Amino acid sequence: MQKAREIKRRIHSVENTRQITSTMELVAASKLRRAQQRVAAARPYAAKLNEVIRSLLTPELSHTHAILRQPEVIRRSALILLTSNRGLAGAFNANLIRLAQRTLEERRRAGVKVEFHVVGKKGIRFFSYRGEPMTTARQDITDRPTMDDARSLVDPLIAQYESGEIDAIEVIYAQFKSAMSTPPALMRVLPVAAGGDEDGRRSHNYLLEPSPDEILKFVLPLYVRNSVYRALVESAAAEQGARRTAMKNATDNANDLIETLTREYNRARQSQITQEIAEIVGGAEALRG
Amino acid sequence: MADPGSGRGFNLSIVSPEKALFEGEVSFVVVPAFDGELGILAGHAPLMALLSDGVLRVETAAGTQRFRVKGGFVQVVDNKVSVLSEIAEEAA
Repeated sequence: MQKAREIKRRIHSVENTRQITSTMELVAASKLRRAQQRVAAARPYAAKLNEVIRSLLTPELSHTHAILRQPEVIRRSALILLTSNRGLAGAFNANLIRLAQRTLEERRRAGVKVEFHVVGKKGIRFFSYRGEPMTTARQDITDRPTMDDARSLVDPLIAQYESGEIDAIEVIYAQFKSAMSTPPALMRVLPVAAGGDEDGRRSHNYLLEPSPDEILKFVLPLYVRNSVYRALVESAAAEQGARRTAMKNATDNANDLIETLTREYNRARQSQITQEIAEIVGGAEALRG
Repeated sequence: MADPGSGRGFNLSIVSPEKALFEGEVSFVVVPAFDGELGILAGHAPLMALLSDGVLRVETAAGTQRFRVKGGFVQVVDNKVSVLSEIAEEAA
């Protein structure tokens, strides 16, 4: 019968979709696991770096190190937006893009000239469609970001900051709180947050070689670079988490749909059989006359 | 080769942003400081020093391990030595 066959075809189509979404869920889950390990592996380095900088930093140093300067007014700033190259990750990219739009608007209203750097196909596509000028647009950063990626992204900006061309560097990325919670976040990389806590500063009488100045000159860019690296790694993990959640929801929906459709199919089939029997019985009755 | 030093050990960790390469008890470590090799034994005074490109030698109870680093720095405090390097790998 026409109706039953129609339903059968829909069930097949939903089953195919489920096959794809559940495979993507598995792939995202395994990528997520590895990405999570990378987030965890980045922690000891970041913690140590923070500790070292805290113990070297004194307020007077901001006059001798350009990277520590605290501009009074921010005239030009750089905004880096990290999005993913691939979609099908729920609202992951949409959330990041929305925060970027809001930030751009706010900065411009405050009279800041913003240089916009976008990473990831999804962000690039959105903003080029909107005609938003982008200073750089990169798609070459994979879902396994490296320190080299962070370096190539932020080193030119550090140089611009030091020379006074820009007064701030900000990054929009997806925070990785857990696989289920990956809110977009805005992080200010430069100027560095002033101060730092008193304790821990010069608490040990370090021998410093070559000199505190030289060490800071080396370590501070490391710190900035590492902040960006962390944002890249967290965003990569967040993307996989978001994709896994989205694909799990899609698979669950497909299951529900198949269940409903199967029930409908059985009912159609049942009524078809009932009708056939009724026809046969009716025919037999007629023959007996 | 006999290990130098008092035979006492100290804790060493070598970390790069991408992973922790080494963590554990060692008896002696030689790091490629910016102005030449620098040997560190247990009880070394607090120190921070920049590294150049080179090979880091670690003496443990289990034997000698080598790591190649490209820049970075070393911090010694309270008998704990931390080596941070953006580019570091275990050398054969």
